[in-house]
Amino acid sequence: MPRPIHLWAFLQGIGHYPSGWRHPGAEPEGVFTMDYYARVGRLVEKGRFDAIVFGDQLQSRGVRGRTPEHLAMPTLDPMALLSAIASVTQHVGLVNTLSTTYWSPEGLAERFATMDRMSGGRAGWNIVTTAHPDTAPNFGDEELPEKSQRYKMAAQTVAQAQAIWRERNAALGPSPQARPVFVQAGQSGDGRDFAASIAEAIFCSAPTIEEGIAFRNDMRARVAAAGRDPDAVRIMPGLSFILAETEAAAIAKDQAILDLADEALCIEYLSESLNCDLTGFDPAGPIPVDHILSQTCFPKADIGRALEKPAAIGLPLGKFASGYVRTPRGHNVFRGTASQLANMMIQWVDAGACDGFTLQPAYMPGELEIFVEEVVPILQAAGVLRTEYPGSTLRETMGLPRWPADMAA
Amino acid sequence: MTRSFILSAGIGDPALADPAMAGEILSAAEAAGVDLLLLGRNDSLLFDPQVIAAWAAPRVSRVGLVPLVSSRIAHPFHVARSLSAIDYLSGGLLGWAPVAQGGSAAQLADMVRATRALWDGWDDDCLIIDKASGRYLDTTKVRASNYVGTHYAVRGPVNAMRPKQGHPVLVCDAASPFAVPGIDVVIAAEGQAFPAAARRLLRVDAGADMAALTARFSAGEIDGLHIELTHPAAELARIGKALAPLTQGRPAAGTLRERLGLPLSLRNIHEEIA
Ligand SMILES: Cc1cc2nc3c(=O)[nH]c(=O)nc-3n(C[C@H](O)[C@H](O)[C@H](O)COP(=O)(O)O)c2cc1C
Repeated sequence: MPRPIHLWAFLQGIGHYPSGWRHPGAEPEGVFTMDYYARVGRLVEKGRFDAIVFGDQLQSRGVRGRTPEHLAMPTLDPMALLSAIASVTQHVGLVNTLSTTYWSPEGLAERFATMDRMSGGRAGWNIVTTAHPDTAPNFGDEELPEKSQRYKMAAQTVAQAQAIWRERNAALGPSPQARPVFVQAGQSGDGRDFAASIAEAIFCSAPTIEEGIAFRNDMRARVAAAGRDPDAVRIMPGLSFILAETEAAAIAKDQAILDLADEALCIEYLSESLNCDLTGFDPAGPIPVDHILSQTCFPKADIGRALEKPAAIGLPLGKFASGYVRTPRGHNVFRGTASQLANMMIQWVDAGACDGFTLQPAYMPGELEIFVEEVVPILQAAGVLRTEYPGSTLRETMGLPRWPADMAA
Repeated sequence: MTRSFILSAGIGDPALADPAMAGEILSAAEAAGVDLLLLGRNDSLLFDPQVIAAWAAPRVSRVGLVPLVSSRIAHPFHVARSLSAIDYLSGGLLGWAPVAQGGSAAQLADMVRATRALWDGWDDDCLIIDKASGRYLDTTKVRASNYVGTHYAVRGPVNAMRPKQGHPVLVCDAASPFAVPGIDVVIAAEGQAFPAAARRLLRVDAGADMAALTARFSAGEIDGLHIELTHPAAELARIGKALAPLTQGRPAAGTLRERLGLPLSLRNIHEEIA
């Protein structure tokens, strides 16, 4: 039997491309309505995906007090969205991101316990520690705790949450999964070790098959070293995609979406990524390297290196920003036909580069509809994607071991 | 203008965290003409009322969903976002009932103020969403709240939209009062003083003599009833029948605020009322 491919749908906002909301197949107003989420939830279930995943931020997606004008930033709270989607679907898992730095163990334990019950055992928790410095002032702090400290807090919070679930399950009868499926997305050594100690699924970025293989091998070794079974952990890198009838048409479609990202939008996107407001600079002028390095809160050495070459050849700011938008967030971006995409996915899984994919449609919901109509049947015919759900809980769907009822593990 | 009778019911039974039971209770509440369904009980929360309200959002067409929001565990940044989402997903049928749950009344009031300040960081008409020009948002209509209270300091802006109703309907239990202006609905037991609010509901139990209470509504003493349920489905059916003369023919469409005749948007309520 070929190895199964697990599919997640990452449905944040209006799609993966910053200009995706301007595409004719995008419905940007939809993200504020129940109808849209009901439609999308059912679509994902029709495609027999394991889960819907929402990321989460605890700060405005603005830049130093300025909210972008051209980016579709405002969203709705993921936990509310996933709970509502639970109500109109039967099988698809619901993975929510909650921060161990800015949620109390009590609050998050209660939230996930209720969600697991209301969804019939479909809750998952993407455990994050929150890295953006603008979050701190929203919780009365001046600065984020330092990273290793945040991971220490994470381990504590997870342990406290488990203790609360144990108590609640004893008092009320266990929720269908006893506790949510644990998901993690750390990239650093600390993050990977934390994931190895608890995660049942890992979300990461792997732009090439080689990087996927290296990451998965590294994680499996860390999981084994932590005394856990590597086969009980799913590695689910992000995969953005643009589909068309021919490869040339897909490349043209990709170009057309990128063309919707005019310079103003690109500069706002770059500003948001660097947490440094560049909207006041002349797009035709030089890249303001010194300004960026003095303002950004992200690793200055990395950013300095990335800016060195374009600045040296005198690339104007607008052009640089436009180029930057073409490689959204370091994930794999596929352009081609449905069968090419299916083949690529099978090849990656066969090569041990991943256990499945976190799909990030370039725009929503049109691109996801094409995937479900065209790629899903090919994967099913190849015997790598289920045609029916095996059970009702997310753990059953993902082929993960049941959590011991006493949660001793 | 004729006054509309307000029917409110409360349920804190852990059975609500069972989807089959919750579905039945919601249908019974719709059929009984319930305007406000309070989710959770003040003394203990055996489930997260906001998750239940979100789950219920796609299933209600008239019942206003009113999760109890506990200042003991809820942070305003989380509360503002979560309630905004549920208000949109329910089509503007959300209320909220802040409770202290053993915490202080001062903290409770501060939580309400901080949450409202975050909502007020966004104007009602901030979205442009024009594909042709590429303008998504009017950035002059979004501000940091810079809220600093006695218990919370929250800079903002919150990364969620201003709720559909501006502010969800604010419900105060006289047993757990909070000192903020602009309370929409207050619930008090017999003999308890009503704190200032736009609408006053009398707390009764499901066995009360509905005919006698109807007279007090007609006399203008109260605007409606709040009934704490112990056997929700059966009690809702009975109450629905008993109160049918008052509850039938009321407007069934629109947001909860519109239906209760409360002003739609309460932007900057502190300045307006102070
Ligand atoms: C693919 C991916 C997605 C992530 N999504 C979120 C998110 O939605 N919210 C969040 O706060 N952090 C998110 N993170 C951040 C990680 O959880 C982690 O906090 C961050 O990467 C810093 O830790 P690290 O240095 O170990 O990677 C994500 C990271 C990755 C790699």
